[in-house]
Amino acid sequence: MNLKETLHNTEKFLAERMPVEKMNYASMVQKKEVPVHGLAWGYYMGGLAMFFFMVQIATGLMLLFYYQPTVSDAHASVEFITDQIPAGALVRNVHAWASSLMIGSVLIHLLTAFAMKAFEKPRELTWVTGVLLLGITFGFGFTGYLLPWHQIAVNATKIGLQTIEEIGGYLPGQMAEWPRLAKEIIQGEASVGQATLSRFFSLHVIILPLAIFGVLGFHLVSVQLHGMSKGIDAKPRRLEKFFPTFLLKDLRVWGIAFMVLFILGACLPFESLFAYPLFEPFDPKGSTPDGIKPEWYFFWVYYPLELLPLWVILVGSTLLAGVLLATPWIFKNTNRQSLRLIAIAAGIYLIIMTLFGENIYHLFKG
Amino acid sequence: MRTNPFITGFTALAALAFGGTAHAYPEFQKYVSQKSGRTVNCAMCHMHSDGPEGAAPGQIGHLTMGEQAELGRARAAFEPHANVKSPILNAFGNHIINSLGKKQFLELRVTPSELANKLPKDSDLDGDGITDVDEYLTGTHPLIKSDGLPWLLFKANLAANLGQIVLMLAATVLGLWGLHHLLHGFDVATRLQDNDEESG
Repeated sequence: MNLKETLHNTEKFLAERMPVEKMNYASMVQKKEVPVHGLAWGYYMGGLAMFFFMVQIATGLMLLFYYQPTVSDAHASVEFITDQIPAGALVRNVHAWASSLMIGSVLIHLLTAFAMKAFEKPRELTWVTGVLLLGITFGFGFTGYLLPWHQIAVNATKIGLQTIEEIGGYLPGQMAEWPRLAKEIIQGEASVGQATLSRFFSLHVIILPLAIFGVLGFHLVSVQLHGMSKGIDAKPRRLEKFFPTFLLKDLRVWGIAFMVLFILGACLPFESLFAYPLFEPFDPKGSTPDGIKPEWYFFWVYYPLELLPLWVILVGSTLLAGVLLATPWIFKNTNRQSLRLIAIAAGIYLIIMTLFGENIYHLFKG
Repeated sequence: MRTNPFITGFTALAALAFGGTAHAYPEFQKYVSQKSGRTVNCAMCHMHSDGPEGAAPGQIGHLTMGEQAELGRARAAFEPHANVKSPILNAFGNHIINSLGKKQFLELRVTPSELANKLPKDSDLDGDGITDVDEYLTGTHPLIKSDGLPWLLFKANLAANLGQIVLMLAATVLGLWGLHHLLHGFDVATRLQDNDEESG
């Protein structure tokens, strides 16, 4: 294949995936229709994730007014927000709950999109950008976890960064140094300290938001250009107009999500799910309390990491990332029935590791 | 309240004999950890999570002369209601000493479960809706408002914020109802316009 042919094929590929001729109100709103069938609830998950993301932006901006990204003041500023600022505890708690709900929605969105074969041509790039958004969302979770600078935040980040460095032991030649360098770049100094906090803060409030705006913009435009995927093999019960019918239903789901979020934010402090020594301010001279672990959305990889050799997890994670990114091509000819079974199995694994990961760990490790 | 002068004298003597030693009383921490199944450290009652010994803020080696004098007064508060404020104890630790007195507290070391029965039942130092006694028994922090058994906290906060929650629910439902009619109106108007264009 010569260069001219390659360019032509690339242009053809992009033209099919980004049909800019459809970029008008009539195609993207007026004529857009949404299939109605048994799995149609999956169409709401992407919008729900976006709703929680918008909540994160609003509450995150409010927290920015008072949060101090320094090791001496970070925890005190979080306490100040919680105890002294009017509605500060509510805003902070809503931010914490919305982050978890956003990640939960993104994961369900990924599984339902997979089960509905929503990655089929010409939606390959929509899927790939969705996987990138999942990665960015996890990045938000990982970087945001450190910011309150309490025991669990700092110690869990130390463990996470240490794991990155250990990867070097499995890589050949010069590549063995790369994870250590990556860890040093992220950490910024000999141990987790001010440089790390500054970098995580920059990532959390500037770099990742810029990245997510770009990728999310492409993802949303792509969804609107191609319309909703068919979702099932059979003929849908009916088609409903995107505007106003589906949009209205979507807004209703957002309304219910807002109510649930408000009640959780007002009534159940997110921190109550941890044992209290974990959210004391980090004391570099103090003893490390028991129970240090990452946020719940990393349990699916954290507990296997505690039970199995690192190389197994490394190979597994690399394969998973590759399979996720290449899903539209790997599963091109797989029927929806099989995809649904794979999605259900993945969902069951995630639920079991999230809810019972610790029990499984104790079962094997005593 | 009458006190036994012999016991008081003996306890005071013991306190003097061990005056230079910090007492963290791990019996209570052990009991709470076992009963609740939660991780508990010295910060439940002490200023510092590693207990009173050391030179960090909240520990004996970090005290000023004035604070040392206050510590001495707190250590000698064998009877209840002495209104002391030990600088190595947090508000809950001082609440225990002021409610029971040091003598009764030391006696409870052999039966740490009894501490819950001896403390005032209605005290809630952090105002989170869960009494200090319940927080002690469930291994949650009596001075951190956001710490408590999730279900108990949820119930307490729901009752405390019911008015705002009802108003918010009403506002959201009314907002969605209004939005529904607005969008429905747009839809009808668009159809009418389309029909006019087709017939015209």
